[in-house]
Amino acid sequence: MPESAEPRIAVGDQVPDAALLRMGADGPETIRLGERLAGRKVVIFALPGAFTPTCDSAHLPSFIRAKPGFDAKGVDEILCISVNDAHVMRYWGEMSGATKAGITMLADADSRFTKAVGMEFSNPAVGFRDRSRRYAMIVEDGVVTVLNVEEATGQCGISAGETLLAAI
Amino acid sequence: MSGTGRRNFEKGIRMAIAIGDRLPEASLVGMGEDGPEIVDLAARLAGRKAVVFALPGAYTGPCTTAHVPSFIRTADAFRAKGVDEIICIAVNDPFTLKAWGESTGATAAGITMLGDADGALTHALGMEFTAPQLGLIGRSNRYAVVLEDGVITHANVDEPGTCDISTGEALLATL
Repeated sequence: MPESAEPRIAVGDQVPDAALLRMGADGPETIRLGERLAGRKVVIFALPGAFTPTCDSAHLPSFIRAKPGFDAKGVDEILCISVNDAHVMRYWGEMSGATKAGITMLADADSRFTKAVGMEFSNPAVGFRDRSRRYAMIVEDGVVTVLNVEEATGQCGISAGETLLAAI
Repeated sequence: MSGTGRRNFEKGIRMAIAIGDRLPEASLVGMGEDGPEIVDLAARLAGRKAVVFALPGAYTGPCTTAHVPSFIRTADAFRAKGVDEIICIAVNDPFTLKAWGESTGATAAGITMLGDADGALTHALGMEFTAPQLGLIGRSNRYAVVLEDGVITHANVDEPGTCDISTGEALLATL
């Protein structure tokens, strides 16, 4: 049976700093989330895993579609975070069109960030351990201003790109 | 080189990939028609001749460019030697392995991709390695074995970070 944590982040909270990984020209590079968020307006969305049905068919495409809308609202960057490694995130970004659309694919390989915000869940039946629940948020200068958390991991409603865009 | 016992100091358990041994009991995750399916490795190997090869991860450099293609090239030759199934194991989830199997051509070549998603098999074999700076945690070193009725008859275990004797051609040459 899937087991989920309870979110430990809310509107008004500072997003915890974390070391995430992104694939660079010479291999995986560490990205300090705190530095990435400081003084900027950023969208973060997170999901259970690369290449999984709902993420692949609904969640990620919703942010590709909404990207121009976020640009127009002054969003500096859109970050997609998943508990995968940087290699998998790179290929998923390329195959899905997300990288081309300008979405930054970040790997929370050890689930440390996901656990810090209380979003981890596990489902051994599908090979998931400490993966991320589905959520999306607006972060301004490191502080959460909008937070949309999906109740069920298999759904993509409130955490979709268009829904988040409509909130700002 | 092959068949040498390895020691996991953290857990104090001695493990080996040695000729004459059975692989540890393991629940792996494959992708079926209706989504992920648990695969009992021992049941899968019982009464059959199989090749199992393992590697650090889907979409990682040498795995994609060398290891998996070496088994795609040799799949027919293994079948000619009576091998019923070729199984690729990685510490990944079944969604990632499905996408990787399709993009590399491994699935089309008839290679079965199975995820040791929680790393239990890899750990039990003493094959795990971790490189946090690469985001690889509890992944598998490279090895390739031939099993008959679940018993290892040929074993080629690579040194961590290399893809040499665990390739399809190198394993095939031992048969």
